[in-house]
Amino acid sequence: MKMKPAKSIAIAVLACLLALGMVACSGTPAAVPTPAGSAAAEATPAEATPTAAAGGKTLNVMVEVEVASLDPQVATDGTSFEVIADYTDGLMQMDASGKSVPAVAQSVDVSEDGLTYTFHLRDDAKWSNGEPVTADDFVFGWQRAADPATASEYSYMLSDIGQIKNAADVIAGTKPVTDLGVKAVDEKTFQVELNVPVSYFASLMYFPTFYPVNRAFYEGLPAGTFGTSPETVLSNGAFKLDSYEPAALSFSLVKNPDYYNAASVKLDGLQYQVVKDSQQAFMSYQNNDLDIVKLSGDQVDQVSGDPELNVVGAGYLWYITLNGHDVPALDNVNMRLAIANAVNRAAIVTDVVKDGSVATYTAVPPQFAAGPDGSDFSADQTKFSDVCADDPSKAAQYYEKAQQELGKDSFTFEFLLEDQTETQNVAAVLKEQIEKTLPGVTLNLKVEPKKQRVEDIQNGNYEACLTRWGPDYADPMTYLGMWVTGNSNNYGLWSSADYDKIIADCTTGAYINDASARWKAMYDAEKIVMDQAVIVPLYTKADANMIKASVTGIEFHPVALNRVFKNAVKQ
Amino acid sequence: MKNYVIKRVLISVFTLLVITLVLFALLRLMPGSPFNDEKLKPEQRAALNAKYGLDRPLYVQFGRYVLNLAKGDFGVSYNISKNTPISQLVQSRLPVSLNIGGMAVGFGALVGLILGIVAALNHRTVIDSVCTIISVLGVSIPSYVFALGLSYTLGFKLSWLPMLYSMKNPFVSSIMPGIALCMFTMASIARFTRNEMLEVLGSEYMLLAESKGISGAPLIMRHALRNALIPIITVLAPLIVDLMTGSLVVEKIFSIPGVGSLLVTAIQSNDYNVVIALSFIYSAMYIGIMLVVDILYGIIDPRIRLSKDGGERGGSGHLGFAARWARVLGIKPRKAVNAHGIQ
Repeated sequence: MKMKPAKSIAIAVLACLLALGMVACSGTPAAVPTPAGSAAAEATPAEATPTAAAGGKTLNVMVEVEVASLDPQVATDGTSFEVIADYTDGLMQMDASGKSVPAVAQSVDVSEDGLTYTFHLRDDAKWSNGEPVTADDFVFGWQRAADPATASEYSYMLSDIGQIKNAADVIAGTKPVTDLGVKAVDEKTFQVELNVPVSYFASLMYFPTFYPVNRAFYEGLPAGTFGTSPETVLSNGAFKLDSYEPAALSFSLVKNPDYYNAASVKLDGLQYQVVKDSQQAFMSYQNNDLDIVKLSGDQVDQVSGDPELNVVGAGYLWYITLNGHDVPALDNVNMRLAIANAVNRAAIVTDVVKDGSVATYTAVPPQFAAGPDGSDFSADQTKFSDVCADDPSKAAQYYEKAQQELGKDSFTFEFLLEDQTETQNVAAVLKEQIEKTLPGVTLNLKVEPKKQRVEDIQNGNYEACLTRWGPDYADPMTYLGMWVTGNSNNYGLWSSADYDKIIADCTTGAYINDASARWKAMYDAEKIVMDQAVIVPLYTKADANMIKASVTGIEFHPVALNRVFKNAVKQ
Repeated sequence: MKNYVIKRVLISVFTLLVITLVLFALLRLMPGSPFNDEKLKPEQRAALNAKYGLDRPLYVQFGRYVLNLAKGDFGVSYNISKNTPISQLVQSRLPVSLNIGGMAVGFGALVGLILGIVAALNHRTVIDSVCTIISVLGVSIPSYVFALGLSYTLGFKLSWLPMLYSMKNPFVSSIMPGIALCMFTMASIARFTRNEMLEVLGSEYMLLAESKGISGAPLIMRHALRNALIPIITVLAPLIVDLMTGSLVVEKIFSIPGVGSLLVTAIQSNDYNVVIALSFIYSAMYIGIMLVVDILYGIIDPRIRLSKDGGERGGSGHLGFAARWARVLGIKPRKAVNAHGIQ
């Protein structure tokens, strides 16, 4: 047998396989940084890069997920909003307490009938290409939001929530975008017309869907490239994008020297890092690679009492929706009230969620909506204690009535939930609590991925479901609006003519010009929801952050922009 | 040989098309759409579906997709990075996974070979047992355990290596994930090499070679290892694809911007185009590497090499493919490969 040719082939094969590995090892590192790295370096003036690299006053920020879009009219998630707001100012912004204060608009005039808002823009607001920020930039941005071609997921902020004239028709495609009730009176005067007075309209202006987009810049870009790199966005805000590519796991922003309020910006920049593993994030924080990280509930236990631990309200209300429309037993008010009282919310937040979340006994969660007198709509968590409390004995009374009315003493419900760890833990405890307090009730947990769960509840294909809702704007209506007849988030198809009337009066009817009457009417509406146990509120989510002692001034909000860094200071 | 290659390439292209169709159908059968979100009203979901053509009949969607694919257009992402062309996402993420996977395969194969040879040469000694223990541990401990261990010791406690992947320093950032990922390859290759070497060492032709006066390194390298290597390639080929297409968990732990994590995020969010594109690339790589291995086998096998009948070569190649798979799956060890191996 001749070995020679075979040997050389065998060596060749081995060499090929190893080469495959080697090529991948040696060939790609040079290629990897090219798309974002070099392009950014070319485009950014030389002085900008060292500031970012210096790192002294660059804040290292952890986020849990990638930025989904840097297009303000397309973005929907908190991370995207946060980053867009880092480099874009809208007409208004939030102060540290969450109040709407001027940003690009230096003043706003509201007509007597409350239907016309006239925003006067600052003269010194500039885009990062040197162009001034004009009223037309807002006209263009808002028209994009309403344009059916954009298919903006937050277009209803213009129509249902903002009540901007013609917005609903433009979104539906029955009127051209130019009919949207917005206009540039002159270069620095932007005017909006509304269908009805909207008491919280000014507070919508910090929501990124209402941010400006420079028309000439946008139209000068190749189609589909807006917001995909530092070169394809313009900044008019505190920072500007320094390195970014779609779905990047790390990217950075540097201070914008041309920002009209640049003197107040103390950071040199922001270095973002997506970390999906919370343990890894926390270790990186301890190694000083990150300045701010979000902790999981279990990690909060490890650091309780640490001065660097910051718990902030995230606004999300977790609640149980009960399908009274399709499940006769859940159509019984006493059965729903029995469940509402059988739950031990205090135990859930302290033993299961553990991140500082607050047990909630109201249909509108606390700490996000302040009324005409400045008080929190849901500060008093005991106002519905006769119908919603952690009270097994009351639960037993309601349950007894329900059993009599329904003529049954055992009930089985399917309890739908999402496949996330915390949700599953909460559901397991809820099952235990409810089954123990209401003997005869059996909850069968059904775990589904998010997309499927949402589809199921939207189609009414569920019996009970653990779900959540985050506020879109700082008004109780962001919650109360859900339970009107026919609302797509009214999953249980509950319906009450009295309730519908109050909500209509508050949004388009009798109370629109009387803030305190409207506020009082919303209490009445909430009372109906609670008396009927339309939903079973559980807890209001909090975020537990670790923030380095050297960092101050980060602002947290439950609405629209969860974190704002423009006033942050790093020593 | 040429006919054989052409046939195999055509089969590969057809297979890819079938895979795309199956994926397409499976994804559409999955509950939910890319636009299921509490915040979306039914009208908005309809508008989004219309915008992306998801309201059309499935066959129209598939036809369009294949046409675009032929032009190299994978479509745009719906959720992960809205409206971004997938080619752009892949372009930035695939090299990172290839890089780390390549390191892991190269290193794992090399160390695995050495371990296997050492174990076989020291059969039934302490060294053999140590090598076997290492292999068993390497195969049975999941890569994320290694990843966490490395991250905690080298990253957190000693601060030698970065815990989070940095685009500015790709090589240093790839070391820990590379080691974590290479363990399985290393252990499998070590195990296979040892077994193959033992078998070869016990064969009659080795006795013959030895009796002819060949000994030491030439005997091991030229006669034993060469023959043992071929089945090992069968094991290595799929491992290469596995590693190069990225590992979900290891990518998650080290925050590596690779395709593994992208695929899982895409599946969770019903980002159809991303799932199909990545699965397509994954399949193409897999089929491509299996094709190369098949052709290499054709070249290596002396019976194929010496045979003059093209048809027989093809047949032999297919036998090889099936037999190798039987081998990899552990259905019918040893004999299948030896049946057409070098005697």
